[in-house]
Amino acid sequence: MDLELSEEELELRDNVRGVLAAACPPSLVRSVFEGKDTGDALWEQMVGLYWPALALPERVGGLGRTFVDVTIVVEELGRAVAPGPYLATVTQFTPAVSELGSPEQADRFLAPVAAGETTGTLAVAEHGRWEPAAVAAVARPEGSDWVLTGSKSTVLDADTADEVVVVARATDTAGIDGLGAFVVPGDELEAFPRRVIDPTLRICDVVLDDIEVPADRVLAEPGAGGTTQALRRVLDEATVAVAASTIGACRRIFEMTLDYAKEREQFGRPIGSFQAVKHRIADLYSIVERSTALLYFAALTIAEDDPRRREAASLAKAAAGDCQRLVAEDGLQLHGGIGMTWEYDLHLLLKRAKAGEALFGTAASHRAELARSLELVAP
Amino acid sequence: MRLTFDDTVESFRSTFRAWLGENRPSEEEMTADPAVSSAHLPGWARRWTRRMFDDGWLVPGWPPERGGRDAAPVETLVYLEELERARVPRTTNPQGLGIVAPSIFEFGTEEQVSRYAMPILRGEKSACLGMSEPGAGSDLASLSTRATAEGDGFVVNGQKVWTSGASHADFCFLFCRTDPDAPKHKGISVLLVDMDTPGVTVRPLPHITKPEQTDLNEVFFTDAVVPAANLLGQLNNGWALAGASLAHERGMVWLGTVMELESTFDRLAAEAREILPRLPAFEQAHAADQIVRCYVDVQAAKCLGYRSFAKLARGGSAPEQALMKAFCSESHRRLHLVGSELHGDGGLDVWDARRGEQAWIEQYFNSFGGTISAGTSEIQRNIIAERVLGLPRG
Repeated sequence: MDLELSEEELELRDNVRGVLAAACPPSLVRSVFEGKDTGDALWEQMVGLYWPALALPERVGGLGRTFVDVTIVVEELGRAVAPGPYLATVTQFTPAVSELGSPEQADRFLAPVAAGETTGTLAVAEHGRWEPAAVAAVARPEGSDWVLTGSKSTVLDADTADEVVVVARATDTAGIDGLGAFVVPGDELEAFPRRVIDPTLRICDVVLDDIEVPADRVLAEPGAGGTTQALRRVLDEATVAVAASTIGACRRIFEMTLDYAKEREQFGRPIGSFQAVKHRIADLYSIVERSTALLYFAALTIAEDDPRRREAASLAKAAAGDCQRLVAEDGLQLHGGIGMTWEYDLHLLLKRAKAGEALFGTAASHRAELARSLELVAP
Repeated sequence: MRLTFDDTVESFRSTFRAWLGENRPSEEEMTADPAVSSAHLPGWARRWTRRMFDDGWLVPGWPPERGGRDAAPVETLVYLEELERARVPRTTNPQGLGIVAPSIFEFGTEEQVSRYAMPILRGEKSACLGMSEPGAGSDLASLSTRATAEGDGFVVNGQKVWTSGASHADFCFLFCRTDPDAPKHKGISVLLVDMDTPGVTVRPLPHITKPEQTDLNEVFFTDAVVPAANLLGQLNNGWALAGASLAHERGMVWLGTVMELESTFDRLAAEAREILPRLPAFEQAHAADQIVRCYVDVQAAKCLGYRSFAKLARGGSAPEQALMKAFCSESHRRLHLVGSELHGDGGLDVWDARRGEQAWIEQYFNSFGGTISAGTSEIQRNIIAERVLGLPRG
């Protein structure tokens, strides 16, 4: 097992980091936080560099690379607190269409993603629960069409995405049976943006008020065989991507904290020379490296379609959760007063790290998933 | 990045697996005559080391004359994986094979190689490391065991403590002060001291949970005469040698540690599957969460180890290596704590009759050996902070 980036992967990372350093400086992020910029220009630049096309098959105009490359990009986006539709479009909408839809639907919806003409997202969570069994939104048949009712919570970019994959279930079904998936044009949904801790992530709640979906937009009819399994594969990818974003932000917080401990002097010497500080920074380094190792393992299991992918995704997300807890807390504490200001960049990263914890299952919910897969508790 | 090794590495694995199947010591001979300290060589261990040496499997990365086959690092990794999987110890004298022999090859004379290093490789001698003293633990460089040049040799006086395996070792890799006037790091040398030298006495230190266990010892030196030919490397250059010696240990030691973590976790999970259903909901959820946290740690240690190995195998540096010692030993300790607490009041029992070994609580106390010896967790954090992250010394 080789968990170190290859030459090619390192090159991609350095390239993405370089682009973002110029195109997404903290000043841009702060402008988005303050509502003065939308980050649209950044997205255009990403499209120009074929980032959305990276892992898409060549048949739809993609570059045919793997999920490892997507992970590398998303980690860097987290590090830069980049705004924009990359995360939802590439790591949620795209796998939803690929895994749940037909080859014709993949061609139809993903070719425009590869070309940077379409953005998308995934509406799956309800009332803070991300597991398939928690879906309560209903899809009822009407002729060859379907009608969706209910509500969705915490949908990224729901107010701006061109297309939204909505997960809903057949009437009178429960648990993991009866689930289906539909592609709904974004402007047919009622999306309510929430004021959230990291405003570069456009998090919305969504109301589904009798939305009619024609047959050619049904990715998986409710109850069709294999839907739940396919949906879980989508969630694996989306979960690992959120872990990557979180760990990217955490690594940057760690680096800033380390630099600060070297520069900041008190009692006539750098605060990083005190063991009370030093040992905490060593612990931050350890947890960031451990989480990164689990992240890359998870990314690989998805890229190589290894049977351990679901467990690896939960391990990565649980580790990312513990990582952000420690790194955000000690990172802010060790910065002292300067970390408490709006002008200093640290808070942008703290907020991205915290946001990651809540998306696609908290660390606790992924530990619960692991407890079930280890058969410690009943399924 | 990739999940699997390529075919040449896998065929190396099969070659070794086949050899191991035919040549390994049997479970029966190992349990009939167990190694009781880290320098004890029972008959089967001597024969096993010799067989590995003769067939080039003792240290695969070394040349054939030193018991190897010039294997690539990744081949050594799968070799270690196979040994762990078969539950066969590579050696019962890890500090001899892992630290002392390679240091003698690196710094020693031809005579020292033939008298001390080669016998270790052939299973004929074992070695202990004379480092810690009553007044020099984490601050090893303040050691005060004196070696005074006299005639054609040294006269050694002083005391070592926590010396693993000293009661069984044939010789000691002894750190001692040869220049009391130099700054403390600059007056230290290494001597190879035969344990049967007059004036060397060993007193075993009864262990926290097994008073009859004799791995830890005090070693006293009273006017012990050591020939000048037993000085390893340059006079007063012992501190540099200490760093280089311990570096031999890193690289792949983590693999055995990680595989032990995995097997300990499997045992914990198996017991939990029996116990958890009997617990009330809140306690069940709490215990399950503690166990899953251990699982995340074990898997993280494994992935971190493989990641650092990949960096080393490509010829780069792997700062993650510095993290492995503290993290693995702390995870090991936590596993045993969770294991003992899982059993509630049953966790008070010191003997696990079903498995015929010490129970979790005893092993929990034992596990502090990992977080205290060979550089405490606190010293590891200093090393990470100062040497890896570049924070100033306090």
